[in-house]
Amino acid sequence: MYSYTDFDRHFVKARAAQFRDQLQRHLAGQLGEEEFRPLRLQNGWYVQRHAPMLRIAVPYGELSSRQLRQLALIARRFDRGYGHFTTRQNLQFNWIPLHQAADVMDLLAEVDMHGIQTSGNCVRNITSDAWAGIAPDEAVDPRPYCEILRQWSTLHPEFAFLPRKFKIAVTGAAEDRAAIGWHDIGLHLHKNGAGEVGFKVLVGGGMGRTPIIGTVVSSFVPWQEILVFIEAILRVYNRYGRRDNIYKARIKILVKAEGERFVEAVQREFRTILHNDAGGREHLIPQAEWDRVASHFEIPAGVRAHAAQANDADPAQGDVPLAYQRWLERNVHAHRLNGHRAVTLSLKRAGQAPGDATADQMDLAARLAERFSQGELRVTHDQNLLLPWVRTSDLRALWEAARQASFATPNIGLLTDMIACPGGDFCGLANARSIPIAAAIQERFDDLDLLYDIGDIDLHISGCINSCGHHHSGHIGVLGVDKDGAEWYQVTVGGSDGSALSGTAVPGKVIGPSFAAEEVPDVIEALIDTYRSNRVAPERFIDTARRVGVPAFRAAADAVRRATAHAEAAA
Amino acid sequence: MNTRAAMRFVDAAQDPWQPPSDAVAVPFAHALLSLDQWRATRNEWPASAPIGVVVANTVDVEVLTDDLPRWSLVALQFPKWTDGRAYSQARLLRARLGYAGEIRATGEVLVDMLPLLQRNGFDSVLMRPDQDLDAARRALRFFAGHYQGDLIQSRPLFARIEG
Repeated sequence: MYSYTDFDRHFVKARAAQFRDQLQRHLAGQLGEEEFRPLRLQNGWYVQRHAPMLRIAVPYGELSSRQLRQLALIARRFDRGYGHFTTRQNLQFNWIPLHQAADVMDLLAEVDMHGIQTSGNCVRNITSDAWAGIAPDEAVDPRPYCEILRQWSTLHPEFAFLPRKFKIAVTGAAEDRAAIGWHDIGLHLHKNGAGEVGFKVLVGGGMGRTPIIGTVVSSFVPWQEILVFIEAILRVYNRYGRRDNIYKARIKILVKAEGERFVEAVQREFRTILHNDAGGREHLIPQAEWDRVASHFEIPAGVRAHAAQANDADPAQGDVPLAYQRWLERNVHAHRLNGHRAVTLSLKRAGQAPGDATADQMDLAARLAERFSQGELRVTHDQNLLLPWVRTSDLRALWEAARQASFATPNIGLLTDMIACPGGDFCGLANARSIPIAAAIQERFDDLDLLYDIGDIDLHISGCINSCGHHHSGHIGVLGVDKDGAEWYQVTVGGSDGSALSGTAVPGKVIGPSFAAEEVPDVIEALIDTYRSNRVAPERFIDTARRVGVPAFRAAADAVRRATAHAEAAA
Repeated sequence: MNTRAAMRFVDAAQDPWQPPSDAVAVPFAHALLSLDQWRATRNEWPASAPIGVVVANTVDVEVLTDDLPRWSLVALQFPKWTDGRAYSQARLLRARLGYAGEIRATGEVLVDMLPLLQRNGFDSVLMRPDQDLDAARRALRFFAGHYQGDLIQSRPLFARIEG
């Protein structure tokens, strides 16, 4: 993991002091709410339904057990004892009073954490593949590049007030586990024919009202030039992105409107910076800097030694309990190193909102990380925790311990491993609640045999069109909408995040008018039944949905309408 | 580029830069012109008269290359303080076009913009009248350094690390 230098530490403390000054002026009435708002947002403080929400950056999802323990302490002392892991690999608290905000920032700074640029119209926290550095299909470890990008984008003076928020995702593997096509900038590290490392650069993906997949702007930017290339993209966006309409302000709208002219403008800007501007070559990344940063991401010594001599026996050999067998199948993943596995701690279980963890659970996860994974965890894009350095020989012991700590639900990739935003229970933006919908689906599909029969499926739930629950990319997507003050849910089928399982990234298709909240579990069941009766082995839900098409799914969903049928008959 | 002068806070009452009006005969020193006024009258101004020009944040500053040598002041605009276009304009004026005169921030200029203004090459600000000067000065002092290069320090942190 990256560990902070003195500079990093001073920097975060300076930011905390700056925020304290702003907060004090606000509380003293010298800085009005309208003017304080963008400042607190760029430090991660939203004002939500009940209290401010604090979003804490977990850079590219890497978290130490020490940091997680501090988060547990903050949850206990300042919140109501729990937090929520997000699709952008961050952590959110929902109940911290604003007047304690600066104290919490100081506690975060103690463990090298902060909320810088987790909100606001700036470059947000960089996300990446949760399996970075450990995946067998990885060509280039993205983490050193993510860290260099994190530093470069932190408090960049020119790009602090862009037309709209700006999200960058990076992967270096064959499989896209970071949904890069759905980001403002998606970066895919790869090697060219000469073995040199560079980035394929996609620009202009995004969800929201107008779901669009990113356009390839360059197939190979040498890694040394990536900061300059991104500077060029951001400058073109800062100058020409729309500011007259918040719904048309994302870079995706500019890219779509300008097409090839956008690509040419970026290329021209890139060349001009490098060949003309004073200081324009200062941000070419030197080998020494890459070496310095990459040294933080070396394989831990204990892991290396074990990999050299481990006997990588199949953990499922012999007479093992079915529950353990299932856990091995769903929650344990291949590793690039001999004698090791990556293990997902499921945050999707009955009685808790998807992605939520209590303070006690955070402490327990930290303990598991210390005992089994070199004190390191990852926050995954689908709102679970991952232990990256588990010895194959420790799997049985980890399973026992994870079970006791409620992390061993063997459902990773299955229907109940759904993505959901906090929704209308917490979020001030939401049109409808997500958590009760997620809970009702959890309850309906509590039979593991059935879940296994359904197999791999992405169910994504968003409480509003801002799409924090990524409904567009779900094989089944559920979107909360407000109609005449009541909560309704639009359902889509066939979306993809761009993974091998899901196919080329694409938004799902709406299967008709919205449904009432109580109809949603029936609709999901009808969609699942349609899949099960139409599938041709070895099809997964998404394969059948693509082959059969929307009408069959729509008809099945319409057959279970009650409230909506009634409302429409009356209209 | 490493030792730009400290940020200057403009006192509107003491400011020599004035837009043309019926009361004053053109040409005069320290005239603050709109871009259109400049373009219409550029040949009427004696070389000795300092000229300032107000440039809207929608202007592509790269078209101003031939005008800049004649200007002593460029006033960039923040119609809303959260509209960040003038940051890019200032940066390009300095780093791309080599403009060495005064770049002034005008419009809705607030205390907490000061660090950004300074780092993007502005050297004077006309703050909104209700803003507190002490808080603005304080806002410039929180950070000892930054990761990326800027118009104060063109080298990023990684180029400044010894070794």
